[in-house]
Amino acid sequence: MIRAIDGDALRTGDGRSRQAAPLVRVRILRQDVAGGESYWERFEVPHEPNMNVISLLQKIAAAARTQDGRRVAPVAWDCSCLEEVCGSCTMLINGRTRMACSALVDKLLEENGGEVELRPMSKFPVVRDLVVDRRRLFRSLERVQAWVPVDDSYDHGPGPRISPEQQQDAYPLSECISCGCCLEACPQFTKIEPVLRDGESDADFEARRRQAFDAAFLGAHAISQAMLFNSHPTGGMIADERMESLTGRGGIQICGNAQNCVAVCPKRIPLTRSIARAGRAATVWAIKKLFDR
Amino acid sequence: MSETPPFLERHQFLIYRLFSLAGLVPVGAFLAVHLLTNASVLGGAASFQSRVDLIHSLGPLLVPVEVAFIFLPIMFHAAVGFVIIANGMPNVGSYPYVGNVRYALQRATGMVAFAFIVWHIIQLHWLGAPLGGGQFDPHYATSTAAVALQPTWVTILYAIGILAAVFHFANGLWTLGITWGIWTSPAAMRRANVISIVVGVGLAAAGLGALGGMRAVDVEQARAVETWMHEQLERQQPPTAEPAPVAAARKED
Repeated sequence: MIRAIDGDALRTGDGRSRQAAPLVRVRILRQDVAGGESYWERFEVPHEPNMNVISLLQKIAAAARTQDGRRVAPVAWDCSCLEEVCGSCTMLINGRTRMACSALVDKLLEENGGEVELRPMSKFPVVRDLVVDRRRLFRSLERVQAWVPVDDSYDHGPGPRISPEQQQDAYPLSECISCGCCLEACPQFTKIEPVLRDGESDADFEARRRQAFDAAFLGAHAISQAMLFNSHPTGGMIADERMESLTGRGGIQICGNAQNCVAVCPKRIPLTRSIARAGRAATVWAIKKLFDR
Repeated sequence: MSETPPFLERHQFLIYRLFSLAGLVPVGAFLAVHLLTNASVLGGAASFQSRVDLIHSLGPLLVPVEVAFIFLPIMFHAAVGFVIIANGMPNVGSYPYVGNVRYALQRATGMVAFAFIVWHIIQLHWLGAPLGGGQFDPHYATSTAAVALQPTWVTILYAIGILAAVFHFANGLWTLGITWGIWTSPAAMRRANVISIVVGVGLAAAGLGALGGMRAVDVEQARAVETWMHEQLERQQPPTAEPAPVAAARKED
């Protein structure tokens, strides 16, 4: 049996003898096409000190051979920054949602009996292998207008001052990397995967998808971003529009207070505080709407 | 493609907030009053009977009040609750955090409490004998309740039902505070959690105390106390309040 061990694996940093490194066993849930069947495949990768899941996947892709030596298509995954900032490498690692770039293999082996298990996120449609379509995550940000609305190039002068206390309060919320961990762990956020119907045009399909997204739960990330921009002096100018979205279909009311979002957030964003604040704002908003019109 | 969403989805926020409110008032408030009233049996048959008499002093208004403030709110809370349960996907296996376990338990206890309440009402109102125990008679509150709760399996089901309802209410109190934005910071949530635990333990003690108290009742003695209380009541009433034959007929009941 051929075990692909390249030169890299034989180079040992501490100058010990050139022995073959121990192999890391990896189990990956693969899927060839969107909507297709998923299946497990096992791989073995020479161990290196301080490996993370991305370097593990790079080696698997380079060898493109399963544990039993069968040649297969390289495993596909998403990643970019490799430092927990871009939010693109989220996957289920040993059954728990987290960023592949900051998941260290030695720790994973410890927690899972000497094997690393990789699955694509379960709340988003799989595109291929570990790559998922996270359009809904970004659509939620659009629904709550998670930005400061500055739509022209005129000089409006300096913006309103923001006190250091406000900055302290807002900064953690601005650290969101749109990784989707909070959505993956949320029992109230369930998968939406529309399938193209016979004879349906791309535009119709897209409209149907949009409609399904807009009726479903926003998710913790969007609620928190809405609170971030509502607390911003310029962003708050459209606070009412955000409250309209937060109290609309699939809004804040869908939250079931399981609080998994805050437990899995890699950036430790106080998501449940944002959700409770959104709840309070929604209470006030509903009273205003009822009596001020 | 953009059609108006169905009524329930257009008013989703309002419905979910009313659902949350109904859990506290009137359903939760009723649960607390109900368990504390029943716990008065620990003070003796006369103590419990006098409280039952107070409730039944509403006379013909009692049933409309029960329907408007207890039955309909429970049915509304349960109906929306089942929709919520159907749309969620518990994942305690993958994420065994305390909050997540409570999320799952909140749904489980909601279903258990609902099933228990349905059986509890049917058993005590109409089908006492076939559904275990016996029927409840507000004129002989302690003795009939004690007989109804005698079978061990009935007592066990009541203990499960009471604990499920109390957990659901106490945990719901905590989540309600987050939903409405009463406690927003993690520290405030922890403090509120202590309050909900105190409420939960207190009500569980009252509920189980009532159950134990009912089982410990000496049925013969309770019956004698209840009969004596009715005689006392009738003697106090002015002779014009009720024609003598009616009072006599009731005595024979």
